[in-house]
Amino acid sequence: MFRFSKPSLGGAIALALATLTANSALADGKYAGIGRSATRAEIHAWDIDVRPDFKGLRPGSGSVDQGQEVWEAKCASCHGSFGESNEVHTPLIGGTTKDDIKTGHVLSLVKGDAPQRSAIMKVATVSTLFDYINRAMPLTAPKSLSNDEVYALVAYLLNLAEIVPGDFVLTDKNIAEAQARMPNRNGMNTDHGMWPGATAAKGGIGNGGKPDVKNTACMSNCKTEVKVASLLPVYAETAHGNLAEQNRPVGPVRGKDTSGKAATPVAPAPLSENATASKLASDSGCMACHGVASKIVGPGYNEVAAKYKGQADAETKLVAKVKAGGQGAWGAIPMPPQGQLKDADIRSLVKWIMSGAKAQ
Amino acid sequence: MADPMKIRASAKDGITEVKVLMSHEMETGQRKDSSGNLVPAHFITELSAEHNGKQVLAAQFGTAVSKNPYLAFKFKGGAKGDKLAVSWVDNKGDKRTDEVQIN
Repeated sequence: MFRFSKPSLGGAIALALATLTANSALADGKYAGIGRSATRAEIHAWDIDVRPDFKGLRPGSGSVDQGQEVWEAKCASCHGSFGESNEVHTPLIGGTTKDDIKTGHVLSLVKGDAPQRSAIMKVATVSTLFDYINRAMPLTAPKSLSNDEVYALVAYLLNLAEIVPGDFVLTDKNIAEAQARMPNRNGMNTDHGMWPGATAAKGGIGNGGKPDVKNTACMSNCKTEVKVASLLPVYAETAHGNLAEQNRPVGPVRGKDTSGKAATPVAPAPLSENATASKLASDSGCMACHGVASKIVGPGYNEVAAKYKGQADAETKLVAKVKAGGQGAWGAIPMPPQGQLKDADIRSLVKWIMSGAKAQ
Repeated sequence: MADPMKIRASAKDGITEVKVLMSHEMETGQRKDSSGNLVPAHFITELSAEHNGKQVLAAQFGTAVSKNPYLAFKFKGGAKGDKLAVSWVDNKGDKRTDEVQIN
């Protein structure tokens, strides 16, 4: 429903033609020999949209009686003879009054007294009815209806909704009169962020895409977040004995120890210097290439320790090597630079290696 | 006077199928309005369908029938061009009769 949009259909076709020109330009280059230009007839066949100002509407006509015939044959099985059926789809017709046709606002939308919102209560533009039927109906065979059949069906629906009399013949000439009697014609609101493009003040449709929500994130003096927890009052904790013993053995939920003699958790013994370094080595990925007592990709730690044993500046040299990476000392496979490690960590690793890379 | 009914009647192989959409409030008398007062009951009590003057369907309606009731039924007989009339009476004595030609 591009109700108030400005660019004309002529503009759309011109745009399509411009694309064609661009295509032929492309044909010379990258995509030579692929595809062909769409013909005018093809564009005409694809370009079926009907706008609220009836641009794009193909000339034609259809009467209420013709519409009834088509309706009974192709539409009534799902929508009901009077568009009233609520079985397959929600009702198309119902809930509108003669006053609604006068005012252009459907009162039962406000009062909420209609059993269900029907399509005719909501639709603001008759072009939407036409376009939708033309484009998508019948659901099993869309675009199988002729242009005049669509006119007739729209006329029939408008007659069911008592918008037009029974002898009405809908044409492209008088469809604007039908629009002027649509029950919800004044019910469409464009002052919201769902419309793309410029604001209404600047010639667009909506409000420029401003969201309707007004929520802002709290940055200072915020309320403290409430944490929801589930717990028993202290006096009731032992009502069923020690809860920790009431569990089934499987599952993630563990009962609280309410025996009153819960052991204070023992802090794990601090790791030895060697164990810390060993853990650091495997955490830092050293162990992927270096074995403690064997060569993997790079040399084993025992080999490194043997090679640099007794050299006074070995530690400094190795720290620099680990940090910057190196190649050649142990063969062609390079050691990547390990700049992500802290200097202190590298130093302790090197010390650990030189001292024999013991696990404990 | 209430709004007219919408009636479709079509005869095929000696059987006539009739569909009727009535326009009626069908108030149950149980509902309260916004100020808390009961909305008085107003519903169709009797409905009758006549084919060329001969009754083919008689029905008693009650408050369980929805607003703007839809009724479909079939009867034997009936031919194109015959007259089919549907009429109802509601609990306030209001009446309505509508007639169509079978096609």
